[in-house]
Amino acid sequence: MKTDNVRAELVSEVSEVKPGEPFWVALRQTIKPHWHTYWKNPGDSGLPTEISWMLPPGATADPIVWPAPTLIDVSGIINYGFEDDILLLVRITPPADLAGTLALRADANWLVCDDVCIPEEGKFALDLPVGVSAKPADPATRALFDKARRAVPTDSPWPARFGLAKSGDPTLVVEARGLKPETIRDVYFFPAEWGAVASMAKQTASVTAEGIRIPLKKGDAKAAPPQSLAGTLVLTEKTGDGEQRQAFDIVAKLDPALVPSAAPLTASNAGESLTLVKALLFALLGGLILNLMPCVFPVLAMKAAAFAQLAGHERSAMRRDGIAYTAGVLVAFGLMAAAVIAIRASIGEVNWGFQFQSPIFSLLVAYLFFVVGLNLAGVFEIGGGFVGVGQALTARNGATGAFFTGVLAVLVATPCTAPFMAAALGFALSQPAPQTVAVLLAMGLGLALPYLALSMTPALQRLMPRPGAWMARLRQFLAFPMWASAVWMIWVLTQQTGPDGVIYALGGMILIAFAIWLLRLGSAGTLGAWLRRGVAAAAVLLAFAAVLKLQDGPATAASASGGPSTGVSFEGWERFSRARMTEAAAAGQPVFVDFTAAWCITCLVNERVALETPAARRAFEQTATVKLKGDWTNRDPEITAVLKELGRAGVPLYLYWPPGAERPKILPQVLTEAAIISELQHKR
Amino acid sequence: MSKTVVQRRAMLLGSAAVALAPMSAFAATDVGKPAPAFSATDSNGKTWSLADLKGKVVVLETSNQDCPYVRKHYSSANMQTQQREAAAKGVVWLTVASSAPGEQGFVTAAEANEITRTRNAAPAAFLLDPQSKIARAYGATVTPHMYIIDASGMLVYKGGIDSIPSSNPADIPKANQYVRVALDEVLAGKPVTEASTRPYGCSLKYGNNAA
Repeated sequence: MKTDNVRAELVSEVSEVKPGEPFWVALRQTIKPHWHTYWKNPGDSGLPTEISWMLPPGATADPIVWPAPTLIDVSGIINYGFEDDILLLVRITPPADLAGTLALRADANWLVCDDVCIPEEGKFALDLPVGVSAKPADPATRALFDKARRAVPTDSPWPARFGLAKSGDPTLVVEARGLKPETIRDVYFFPAEWGAVASMAKQTASVTAEGIRIPLKKGDAKAAPPQSLAGTLVLTEKTGDGEQRQAFDIVAKLDPALVPSAAPLTASNAGESLTLVKALLFALLGGLILNLMPCVFPVLAMKAAAFAQLAGHERSAMRRDGIAYTAGVLVAFGLMAAAVIAIRASIGEVNWGFQFQSPIFSLLVAYLFFVVGLNLAGVFEIGGGFVGVGQALTARNGATGAFFTGVLAVLVATPCTAPFMAAALGFALSQPAPQTVAVLLAMGLGLALPYLALSMTPALQRLMPRPGAWMARLRQFLAFPMWASAVWMIWVLTQQTGPDGVIYALGGMILIAFAIWLLRLGSAGTLGAWLRRGVAAAAVLLAFAAVLKLQDGPATAASASGGPSTGVSFEGWERFSRARMTEAAAAGQPVFVDFTAAWCITCLVNERVALETPAARRAFEQTATVKLKGDWTNRDPEITAVLKELGRAGVPLYLYWPPGAERPKILPQVLTEAAIISELQHKR
Repeated sequence: MSKTVVQRRAMLLGSAAVALAPMSAFAATDVGKPAPAFSATDSNGKTWSLADLKGKVVVLETSNQDCPYVRKHYSSANMQTQQREAAAKGVVWLTVASSAPGEQGFVTAAEANEITRTRNAAPAAFLLDPQSKIARAYGATVTPHMYIIDASGMLVYKGGIDSIPSSNPADIPKANQYVRVALDEVLAGKPVTEASTRPYGCSLKYGNNAA
């Protein structure tokens, strides 16, 4: 059947039907390029495809099983639908007393649109002979069904809930813990029905280790707030071998305890698009707020201490100081913008706070805070040059010192405010490069503004107290917020590494303190002094060696205790080791290897739809296949080596050694039950 | 201690996301709120402004004469009948062509008059909205998208013309005619039972207007 814009046909997965045994048929639509048909919820306009069946008595047809939709933006109007080639799956149950031929008749109608919309319809007929057992259709048709099943959303492996803001806008939270935010993009929630969620509003999902959070806009339905929210969550995951689009059916329950906060700023701007000017204003405001962040505060405290020293100086010196500090902040933000743009250009997308996800960065910043705290407390004075260039530079008086204080402020501001920035900069990062730079610079200006204003305004300066003994006391006091920040960074570190991180961080700090103590003993020039320096250097090196340990060490809290990570189940599988694999393969046994990770969504989907289905389990059992599973959640070095040998950067990776094979076969990254079963039963 | 930190982070995250989330370029007016003001020229050169229509019940009907869903309600005479019924009750029925120039459904004044004549329509006026200003102010997404504004200027209904989203005119007698029912309720001084329904039809052709 062919219309102007769609070629449609009714296809069956079986060529012969067994009475009483359900089987699958599909309405296949091959749609003209740039045109689309619609999903069960068509979005802002359009209509879903409808099929009405005329079946022999006793036969039944289930509702359409829809593939995951794509988002189609028709100049601002959002449609949920399909392009190119799709199969709408329908399960048919023939009567048990069927004889002769099963005659399937169907009237289908659909709306097909590009800019304009055309309703089309067709009549379909399919006659299937009845046999004693169901006979599969030809391989090409079966492959078509296999692919179609892969396009259907799977049930969500994660629980989901949603909360309503005072405005009635729902926020969806999917408890997908332990995901790697940098590997996930294009997250979108397709509501199953019209009314509860406005499809026209843009969705800005945030992915963190805690899960996926999608603030939504409420829809136009006037009914009471819904108790549950159903829909399809779609995301694209970057895997070791490319990108995979995954879709999950979700039913979120209303969580009365979850009340998303609505910012008052939006109320006045509701309904207008966020212009660049407004974005700059928000960024400036955001920068100002950064001054109150726990990590930036001590840096400002340092700055305030320096300021107190300057209090007696001429105005020009203060002005120079203020400008230098501002320049430092802006240069640091500019560099960050450049880095973001460069990374975005190379990998397509970047998550703010990418350095924040690195335990090494957390550890180094914790060390920095600790050492600066020691300095403020008066344990040692700058001059030896052993504390690190950054601290030495910031401690330098005059414009250079002020400049590097600005740089330091930005450096420490990002890690502890990364989650905040990640959301706030969603706009900036989605913009072209000049806008990204402008927004980031505006944020920097906001950060520098209070100090700049102070240095520029004589009236404000007069309010600054005179220099005196209080300055030393203030300086000592400021060590405490600095140390508090170090504690916070260590806590962040434990989130990344588990409890072991505390040992490395605190042990490293003791080593650093020990080194400082050694260096302050006795006079210089003697043999003893050189010895002490050597030992101190060794201690510092050891402290930094913790960095290496962290890099090789566990990446999630779950595995830090040495036990198996909670995410990967080994039920029915042996733990992978190269020795076991080669031994079993050498013995002529079939071996199947599944390299997976708790954070790998594609792996999870493959397990659910292909590896752990009853039929697949049966096939594994019947063929006596040795099933090995490698858990790469924490980048196990043995597995990394295997991946490298096979030229893979990551998981999923599936290997199959047919009985007696000398080399394993690398299976595709997206598995289907049929492909697995045919692979296992191939040479038998 | 760690717990409180997490909550604050989460809170900041939430508020920041709301503050900076790119907002839709369309306004979506809620029923029960004042209807957005507009002023537009009709196909006979007369200017219509919502403010001047205070005291009257107003119906807005977005139109694109080539859209199959608009055609469904004109070929069956459903739309024209309702226009005449409304006029008889003193309701001001405004048909609005909001398609951008070059898009399907864009009409000149002469074309608009010709369309009204050939489809034997009876709106109070055929408004020309080539910049889609009215459509955008009301958040219209489809043709036909229907709105009712009461005598005090409140939006009291928005959504579809009826309850069966299809392009088949045979469905009209079976459908719940939302607009007719709502108009009767408004004129009787009663609250509208189904005040916000699912609009259905072709996407409104904003073209570059939406940018």
